[in-house]
Amino acid sequence: MTMNHHRAGQLLSAYLDGELPSPEAAAVQEHMLDCQACREAYAGLRATKGLLGRLPLAEPPAEFWSAVRERGQRRETPPARWRLSLPPRWMWAVATAVVVLILATVPLIKGTVDRLHATEIGVDLYVREHARQMSLEPLADRAYLNLVAGDADLVVVGETPRAGDGSK
Amino acid sequence: MTPGRGARAVVIAAAFLFAGLSITLAAAGPLLPVSPAQVLRMALEAPRLIDYEGTKVITALRGGRMETVTVVESHKRPNMLRLEFLSPEDVAGRLIVDDGTTVWHYEPRLNLAFADRTLDSGLLSRDLTLLLRNYRLSLLGTDEVIGRQAYVIALDPMGSGVLRQLWVDRATGTVLRGEDRDEARGVVLTTYFSRISFSLNLPQAYFQYRTPAGARVFTMHIADRETSSPAALEARVRFPVLIPPVLPEGYTFRGAALTRFGNLASVYLRYSDGGNLISFFEAPAGSIGWPSFGQPVRVAAQAGRFVDLGYFRVLIWEQRGLRLTAVGTAPTDTLMAVASRIAAGQEQALVTDVSRRVDSDPATVRRLRGEGLTFPEVTRVLVLSRHLGTDLPTTIQFMRGALTVTDLARQLKVRPEVVKRTVQEAMDRASTVPPEAPASPPAIPALLPVAAP
Repeated sequence: MTMNHHRAGQLLSAYLDGELPSPEAAAVQEHMLDCQACREAYAGLRATKGLLGRLPLAEPPAEFWSAVRERGQRRETPPARWRLSLPPRWMWAVATAVVVLILATVPLIKGTVDRLHATEIGVDLYVREHARQMSLEPLADRAYLNLVAGDADLVVVGETPRAGDGSK
Repeated sequence: MTPGRGARAVVIAAAFLFAGLSITLAAAGPLLPVSPAQVLRMALEAPRLIDYEGTKVITALRGGRMETVTVVESHKRPNMLRLEFLSPEDVAGRLIVDDGTTVWHYEPRLNLAFADRTLDSGLLSRDLTLLLRNYRLSLLGTDEVIGRQAYVIALDPMGSGVLRQLWVDRATGTVLRGEDRDEARGVVLTTYFSRISFSLNLPQAYFQYRTPAGARVFTMHIADRETSSPAALEARVRFPVLIPPVLPEGYTFRGAALTRFGNLASVYLRYSDGGNLISFFEAPAGSIGWPSFGQPVRVAAQAGRFVDLGYFRVLIWEQRGLRLTAVGTAPTDTLMAVASRIAAGQEQALVTDVSRRVDSDPATVRRLRGEGLTFPEVTRVLVLSRHLGTDLPTTIQFMRGALTVTDLARQLKVRPEVVKRTVQEAMDRASTVPPEAPASPPAIPALLPVAAP
């Protein structure tokens, strides 16, 4: 596919963002090989985008959002054509890295939390099971053993253990 | 009314009057001589035959002090239970309902409900056999509890565990009062009914639980439903399952299961002598830390922690990358000695030793160990199976109390006396081939003689 200088100039920004279909991208690339002006325009565009990417995000003033909301409410019909603006590739890379980091960290954190939880409830969990099984022993007092197992239930799910009356 | 019909009515009325009078006189009259075993059997059978509803007072050792708890206890045969706790304040309103399938625990102050499976109540014959083998049973006399005549029996364990005294209602067999005595600390648990009513025909609906509106429900299916052997469990977990080499006299394997809670997977082995239970929980050391409470101890030079909860004692220690926890009513010395024998880690040496002494192959000894048997039990099973000519599964069933001398005699088509004598000879032979005696001084015999009932 051959491309004239005017058309290539229009597509440079989309080419830079990787948004062009392969045949058009190849045509722009081919055109830039022969066109010094387009190469310079492309370099300038890339530099500008790089600088923009490094700029900190500015917080809009508080009234900005209320103005946007008002405008949104006033607008009765949506715009004829929405342009989908995808984040640049580097943002995808950062997002992916964050997700991978989270996925790698969560089991470690969860494992530590589980260990801490098991440390807190381990004895109660085992006493609970022991009391339940002992209630099957003939002549063991089921009311008392159910009381012990019930106390352990509370600790196992993270509730504070009861103090008891200490009546004697 | 014709004269004939009138006479018949008078006769029937007189018969009812006579029967009623006889029952009244029998209830008030002198107690017929009974054996302690008969009273024990009555007490074991009562829950399957009798419904009751009563107020029970429980006094138990908890955190170094005695705590008194009052509960309304209702029982519908064979295994339905409803407990409504009245006091102290922090337990008041707690409701436990066991409908025979699910046991519910509702905590009103937190609006929390817990559901767990009802445990299988097991075999009556095995319970009686183990109790008769492992406890010195005596009839202390009769007593009156809330105006009712009761037999008083004592169950003194031949091994270690709490000594139990029971006041068994003469008319129904229900335990009206109980007392558990620890040899080191005296009475650790007393329970008695301050009032009780029988034959109420309690409605089934009374034992059905309905979750209150807005209550959070926790399903606590922590342990496997099915019990299995330690060997079978070892195939399911990524760590070795340690089986106690020696236990106090009379304790035998009752079951094993996998328990899971969150990330914590533990193997649970339990051993019973018919009246007391020792539980062992085993988990990878990394999956659980040390509790912040308890007393630091050394178990065969390994770090450990001892927690005295009152009625129960807990011993925790580490070995070979595992965290082991023993829970029971056994004395501290006994728990320490049992733990030391496990921590010693002489499994292979003991397998070789026992197989050499009883002239068996090590694979058979290992297989029996995988069934949860202690080394003295392995020895006795092998010797007894040779003396009786029974296969190993049958012999294990006999050792665990699931078969009595009479059952075995019936299977072998011989008189019970013959079986009893053969068993005694086999036990005498087995007692001459003990594994190494425990290092500590507890009441754990090297080999445990069996008095066949």
